[in-house]
Parts: sequence; C-alpha cells; structure tokens
Amino acid sequence: MMGWKTGSVAICLALTRLSLGQVSPSAHDQRPREIVDRVSRLFVSKSCIATMEMQITNPEWQRKISMQFWSLGESNILIRILSPQEDAGTAILKVGSKISYYLPKTNRTVKIRASMMTTSWMGSNFTLDDLVKQSRLTDDYVITTSFEGQRDGVGVSEYTLTPKPAAVVVWGKDILAVRQADRMPLWQRYYDEDGKLVRELAFSAYKTVSGRLIPTRLTMQSMNKAGKAVAEKTTITYEKITFDEPIGEEIFSLKNLKP
Amino acid sequence: MSGRLLRLAWRNLWRNPRRTMIAMAAIGFGYAMLLFLACLMAGLRQQMIETGTGLLLSDVEVHAPDYYPERPIHQTLGAQKGTDVGALVAAIAADPRVQAASPRVYGYGLVSATHQSAGAQLLGVVPDQEQKITLLQTRMVKGSYLTGRTPKEIVIGDKLATTSGVDVGSEIVLLAPAADGSTGNDLYTVTGMFHTGLDAMDRGLALMSLASLQELLRLPPGRIHEVGIKLHDNDITAAAATAAGLEVQLSKTFPVRVRAWPDLAPELADYVQFNRRVTFFLFFIFFLLAVMGIVNTMLMAIVERTRELGMLMAVGMRPVQVVGLIVAEAASLAGASLVLGGALGYPLLWYLQVHGLNLGGDRGAVSLGGVVVGPIWHGRQDFAAYAQAAVGLALTAVVSALYPALRAARFRPAEALRKV
Repeated sequence: MMGWKTGSVAICLALTRLSLGQVSPSAHDQRPREIVDRVSRLFVSKSCIATMEMQITNPEWQRKISMQFWSLGESNILIRILSPQEDAGTAILKVGSKISYYLPKTNRTVKIRASMMTTSWMGSNFTLDDLVKQSRLTDDYVITTSFEGQRDGVGVSEYTLTPKPAAVVVWGKDILAVRQADRMPLWQRYYDEDGKLVRELAFSAYKTVSGRLIPTRLTMQSMNKAGKAVAEKTTITYEKITFDEPIGEEIFSLKNLKP
Repeated sequence: MSGRLLRLAWRNLWRNPRRTMIAMAAIGFGYAMLLFLACLMAGLRQQMIETGTGLLLSDVEVHAPDYYPERPIHQTLGAQKGTDVGALVAAIAADPRVQAASPRVYGYGLVSATHQSAGAQLLGVVPDQEQKITLLQTRMVKGSYLTGRTPKEIVIGDKLATTSGVDVGSEIVLLAPAADGSTGNDLYTVTGMFHTGLDAMDRGLALMSLASLQELLRLPPGRIHEVGIKLHDNDITAAAATAAGLEVQLSKTFPVRVRAWPDLAPELADYVQFNRRVTFFLFFIFFLLAVMGIVNTMLMAIVERTRELGMLMAVGMRPVQVVGLIVAEAASLAGASLVLGGALGYPLLWYLQVHGLNLGGDRGAVSLGGVVVGPIWHGRQDFAAYAQAAVGLALTAVVSALYPALRAARFRPAEALRKV
C-alpha cells in the first residue's frame, strides 16, 4: 500500500532490519557471525525512546518529518508525528502484529490489517515488507566474509549475507560493510535475485548513547535498473535517543494514541 | 446470361413447386437463423463494449503523456504543464464525434471504518458530467449516486462496503498518499452502493466528487488525471480512429495522449474480434450445409428432366447455355429463399432489438471476459453481416449448382432422349 506515514515505517525498519540478531553460531564462520550479530543488535534494547527526523527526497517532492518514537521489546512501538503541520499529531501504534493509526484531522483511529501491508510504500525508500518481516530474519542467512582490507584508508570487512533456500526473503543477498576499528556498520547493500544492486543503507554520525556506540544517521538510497543512485532517498537522523529506560507498557494502548 | 434464360429458369423452378418450396423453406429458414445469430452476436458485442467501457473506462481517455498505464499521481493534465483543463475539456466536447466528456482524478487509498479497512481505487468525478459518459448510476443497489449536495459524499461497491463493514449513511475514513508526500485523510459519508457484477469494481472502487478527491490528494483544482469521453460511434475501428484523430488535433494545443478503449482494454477488443470470427465461422458452416441442399435439389432437378434437357440440346441449346440455365435456376432459388428468409427473419430481428432475450430474471447476468452481460440479451442490427450472409448464400448457390449444371451439359441428346 502506498505511502502510509512513510516516516514512521522507516524508523521501525531501520531498527528491525538491523536486528538480524541471534545468528546461530556455526563452527567455521564463527567470527563473521559474531560481528554481523553484534551489528544487528546495535539498536536492540529492552526499550528505546527517540526523537528523530526523517528527510524524504524524491523527484516530485521533499518532506522533512520529525517524530517521537517509543519501543518496548520487539512488538510494542508507538510513533507520534511532531511536524510538519499537516501531519502533526498523527500517531502510529503497533502492538504485536496489529497496527493502528490515529488521525487528528478526523479524530479517528484506523486499524490496518497486516495482510494489506505486503506492497511497498510509495514515495518511500523502505518497503512495508521489511516491517512485517521484522522478527524472523534471525536464522535466515548464510554469512561469509567477502572482503577484508583497506577502503579509502579505512580498514573494512565486508560480509555477504545469502538467504538460506527456505527463507522467505525478497532480497537475493545483502552485503554488510563494517569498520574494522570499532566494528561500526558503514553500509548495507541489498541485491535482488539477479544480483543487481537495488538499494543501499548508509550509516554515519557515530555517537555514544546510553553507553553504546551507534550510527545516528541512516540513509536509504534507491537505485535504478542500472544499479545507479536515483533522486530517491530517505535519511533518518536520531536527534535524541536513549536505551533501556523504563517505559510503562500502558503507553502502547489505543487510548494513548490521542495526544 | 440473358433475361430469357432467367425467365426460363424461374418458370422451370415452379414446374415442381413442392420441391422448390421445400428447398426455399430450408434455405430461407437457414438465412433467417443466420440473421438471428448475427443480430444476437452483434448485440452481445455491443453489450460487452457498453458495459466494458460504460461502467468505468469510457470510450476514449485523454491523459498526460506519461500517465498511462502506471497512473502515477503526479502525471496530471493541467497546472504542472500549464494546460488549461477547462479549455481542454471544452475542446474535446466540441468535437462532433464526441457525445460527452468528463474530467477525472484517480487515487488509491484505504477505506476504513471503526474496525475494518480495505484498499480501494478512488475515482473523483464531476457527477453531472460523469453520468453522461458512464453508467454506474444505473447500478446503484442501495442509497443514491453522488448528489453533489455535500462535498464529503462517497459511493462504494457493495462488496467493499461488506469488507470494510459500512452501510449507507456510515461515516468512513479515507487514508490516501497525497501528491505532496503527506498522507491525506478525511471523513466521508457513504451515500450509496453499486453492484456491477465485476468483482474488481464491486470490491475495489470508491467514487467521490472531483473536488473532494483533489483536496484529499492535495492536488490543486486545475490538475486532473484524465478526461473520459463517450463517442457517438464506439465501434472498435471507429473508436481507434477517433482517438488518433483527437490526439493529432488536441496535441496542437495541449500535451496529451489519447487512447481508445481497444488500447485500454485489449482483452475486450480481443473478445469482440473473437466474437466476429465465431459469427463468421458459423456462417461458413451454414454455407457448407446449404451447399449440400442446393447440390441435392439441382441434381434431382436435372435427373428428373434428363429427357427435357436432352430435347433442348437436340433442338440446338448449347452446353454452355445448359450450364447457364441450371445456374440461373439455382440463383433464382437462392434469391427467392433470401426474400423468404428476410421476410421470416425481420420480425425476429425487430423483436430481438426491442425486447431482447431474457436470460432469466435479475440474477441472470453473467460475467463474460470480464464484462457483465444480461440479464436481457438485446440484439443489434448488423446490416453488414446480413449482407455478407446474403451474398455468401447467393454465391454458395451458384457454386454448388455448377456440378449438376456441368453434368447436364455433358448429356448426349440421343441418349438423354431415350430416358423416361
């Protein structure tokens, strides 16, 4: 379905795509698994409160959306749009697999069925599929080291993540590049089944927050059919973010959707 | 072939009135059946074209160059490229081939009630004008079509109403990605439900006023996606020719692409062509059967008249004249049969066109190739097909008389005269 609150999804996504988590260890590729696992857990936390800004650029329009984000565990997410004016007050609640929108203009809460969210979000560089697939990416990939060495004077390791045959994954493969010095992710590239680059998620602005080092800027860049960057990208910047602060479960309720 | 030969042939035919009458009845009845078939097939084609184009598509659609078929929200007519939409619609409506033209806006959104929601195509129309180009207003099963009295009216398919759990009078929320990247959302009141029999429409279409959809999608008033056109003649070739002509003419002033329904609904055009071929094939089968009948009749006629033909040849009729005589008899027989068949068939055709065949009550409508037909199946006069059938039948008669005629021409008078 088209661009339902492009922004909100993007955030959930940035977090969930990273939570490749709990990659099961196997004897011969222990180290790549550990590193990918660590990267994928960067944002995994008991809880998270964040203020973020999302800048969406495409040939027709540009938007800057600022929002607040609360998450508790994996399945409770609340997002509230702060600006721009026309969307301010809109809130999105995800509890389990149920997703509800609060629309201040009509003062209504709308439920969205997960079955309706299998198509990509137009105008966004993220697909809804990513969100739906949130939790079960864990055992889906075979991980191999595809490069180790210097790139532009920085020690870089690149890991290729190939979906296991049984995995329900839309991508042909992912490549994750990690800085050797601090094992921070540099970028993740998504290839389709024909091995063509489809989009790239770039990480930057590394900061230490709540005792952990994380990239606070994520840019998703779409590629055209030739694999070249097009005028379509989405940048998420965390302005404030804290982890593992206690949040009451009661905030993830329909009642709390209205401001 | 002289007039005398024809007169002789005609007289000969009536020397055995019973045989001639039987042959005439068979061929004439066959011709009447062909007329009946051609009329029904033409009616089916017309009904398919009318429901296929008349419910949603319209006969011809005018778009911005890059709009169709992806229908991106930004590829609008007007404003963006400086096209004056009002002038464009007026220019189209002024064309003598155009019966009516109506501007439209498309969107896609989520129709949501309290507990349920469903995705739907949103179509924004000017109700007064839209009703001149499409028939949706005739398919309302509950409530009414857009009245234009309040801006937040919406008319939805009956199955969409069921899946989103709403009824006439219910308030629904529409959630749709807007042209500026925001998510348009607003409250609407369901004023009516339609049932077309086409699942895609009944399950996935919502109709609202042009202005309110433009507002939801944050499109300025001058920007529309399409001008739908109803033509006086929407036959497959006429529609394509008109679209091509309109494109040339409009392109002088406006950057537009014009597409006719055979382009927009190729499967419908395919069906229409298929229907034509089936009709022609049935004609062909009938001609084959007619060949048997005529060959038989004429063979009988010459065998019975061996002595007479031998006599004619003995007194100086040349073989080529004998052939001419027999063929003329067959042609006269066919001509008389066609007249009889026409006389039999005409009331039938009139009945089919005016009253049609009832396929069985209100629920008798069937969906054929994505188009609803029935419950009343109306015929339509297809004079070209009637003429084809007549000419085909006359030619069949002449060709099938050749064999008996050639046999007669080979008679030797001395032997023929001895036959009783």
